[in-house]
Amino acid sequence: MDLLTPPPDLYGRPRQDRFLRRLTAIQDRYVQALGGPLLRRNPRRPLSRPLPPLQLVVTTRRQLAADVIELQLADPSGGPLPAWQPGAHLRLVLPSGRERHYSLSGDPADRAGYRIAVRRLPEGGGGSVEVHDTLHPGARLTARRPRNGFAFCAEPAVLLLAGGIGITPLLPMAREAQRHGLDWRLVHVGRSADTLPYADELRALDPHRVVLRTDDEHGGVPTGAELLAHAPRGAAVYCCGPAPMLTAVQRALDGGPVGAGGPGASLHFERFGAAPITDGEPFAVRLGADGPTLDVPADRSALDVLREARPDLPYSCHQGFCGTCEVRLLAGPPDHRDRRLTPEQRAAGSLLPCVSRAAEGETLVLDV
Amino acid sequence: MPRPTPVPALAAPAARVHDSLVLEPRDVRFDWAQLPLHWVPDEPMATHILNVLHLLLPEGERWFVKVFKEAVPLIRDEQLREEVLGFIGQEAVHAEAHQEVLDHLLGQGLDPRPYVRQVAWVFQRVLGDRPWLTPAKRREALIERVAAIAAIEHFTAFLGNWILNSPGLDRAKADPTMLDLLRWHGAEEVEHRSVAFDLLVHLDPGYARRVRTMAMAGPLLVHLWVRGVRFLLAADPTLAGRLRPSWREAYRITRRGLLPDPVASFRSGLRYLRPGYHPTQEGSSSQALGYLATSPAARAAAGR
Repeated sequence: MDLLTPPPDLYGRPRQDRFLRRLTAIQDRYVQALGGPLLRRNPRRPLSRPLPPLQLVVTTRRQLAADVIELQLADPSGGPLPAWQPGAHLRLVLPSGRERHYSLSGDPADRAGYRIAVRRLPEGGGGSVEVHDTLHPGARLTARRPRNGFAFCAEPAVLLLAGGIGITPLLPMAREAQRHGLDWRLVHVGRSADTLPYADELRALDPHRVVLRTDDEHGGVPTGAELLAHAPRGAAVYCCGPAPMLTAVQRALDGGPVGAGGPGASLHFERFGAAPITDGEPFAVRLGADGPTLDVPADRSALDVLREARPDLPYSCHQGFCGTCEVRLLAGPPDHRDRRLTPEQRAAGSLLPCVSRAAEGETLVLDV
Repeated sequence: MPRPTPVPALAAPAARVHDSLVLEPRDVRFDWAQLPLHWVPDEPMATHILNVLHLLLPEGERWFVKVFKEAVPLIRDEQLREEVLGFIGQEAVHAEAHQEVLDHLLGQGLDPRPYVRQVAWVFQRVLGDRPWLTPAKRREALIERVAAIAAIEHFTAFLGNWILNSPGLDRAKADPTMLDLLRWHGAEEVEHRSVAFDLLVHLDPGYARRVRTMAMAGPLLVHLWVRGVRFLLAADPTLAGRLRPSWREAYRITRRGLLPDPVASFRSGLRYLRPGYHPTQEGSSSQALGYLATSPAARAAAGR
């Protein structure tokens, strides 16, 4: 856009817009004056210090169900921990340096400790196995303060749907719903009764509101409609479980007036950002025409790799729709995989490294 | 015809404030093919007063994105940095969602470009970066822009809270897709209402900057809005200049519940100047997240 000539009058009169001309002149002077004694950050005021990571110690460990352990974590000096609300998770740094999110399953009113439950997944990324093998009472670890990506909104009627270990964020919600007298139901789904953690704790809240549904007794996994049939009238649905379960519930809700379904049905679940990259090939990115070259493995995004070298590079959605991470491509044959950039923007060299890649062995030269 | 999506009712103890929310953009899409020019039926002026949003927001929110991207390297706190990045993504999606409505207006014979060109001048030139300044001044100017955004975000949260609580638009049978756009956007504004203010306090906790940027941003916003309504009424091909904007008409529309009460809006602006102000004092996170769990656009985005 032309930033030298002020725009013309709105109604076609043959002159520049007076208001905008004056506004521009005033702002030009004003910005020049910034940095003067009254128009700057008070230099005597100290900068706020960033909060350090939490230091935690494992206080107790107990077996909850087949393959599931529960850990109680506390401040090593016994002080109160930062507050949290149902649905919040803790990002733990494991001894190997791996970082993993675990939903808090305890009572938010208990500020003395955090409680998490972890199922051992031998086929997973190794985090749960490490928790099971190395975290015993007395073990120290660091964590980041609880964050909440699955907030509980306390609608008057709620249906909580848990699949297996997905019970962890829903248990504090059930407790909160019970405390506030909401019309709530909880359905806990799993393979067999011995794989369902926290069954006693749930029944103690209100046995009439809790349904434990096991595949071995009911002959297979439940359908979405079957799960929604437990909903009180007009209930908002909170679902946490394996992806197929969530998809089934989503489909059943969108499919029409089944239980809580139909228009206006509410569905809450935790979003986990981008899906793993399954169709990528290894390539390389060069940071500037004479900069260093970094390898991008098949299962990582170029953005991930770039951020290691350029920590201030902005990004947001990780999925190629928001456009925040846009960088300029100087050379190399790109494989654009975003849904944001127009053909003109791509032709002009824009690229979204959160999803876009290159063919095996190619190098993309980026202006970063 | 699809019905508007109701905003869910909440039980009395629902948390108004949710701590440390994870903010993420939502990949929403809207289909405007069926949108009538006057999407509040028989209310051209109400339609155009709300349409000013589509004229201001694409340029305005792209400017937010640009300013906040420049501010990211100044952030010393990891959680705030993540919140700012989530905010940037949400604002970027908002800008493009409103841009699509703008393109649709042009297709209906209402050419918004002369006004949009002025808005672009305000955000890109008047409030733009000035690379020729000294680094110290440039940094001060950047913080000043963050402060202006914090002031504007106070109003977007106010408007977001209003649109979630405005049954008047449902009663007037406003277009359900447009209502979903406005309520999805409004709900995300309420969801992330603290981020700009927290960033400002992180970069400069001083009170003077907060007051002076509100004193500039508030009146500028009102002026641009009034100017936009006059422009749209004059440019609407079906009105041919017959409908003159008037305060009396605006008052009638407000009484019908189609616009926020101007006195309440002004008072809300004053609340921003209270020394103990924090954005969490306005609006309800539970209500906003409750709507996002219900909104057809946000629900469809979640399934992608």
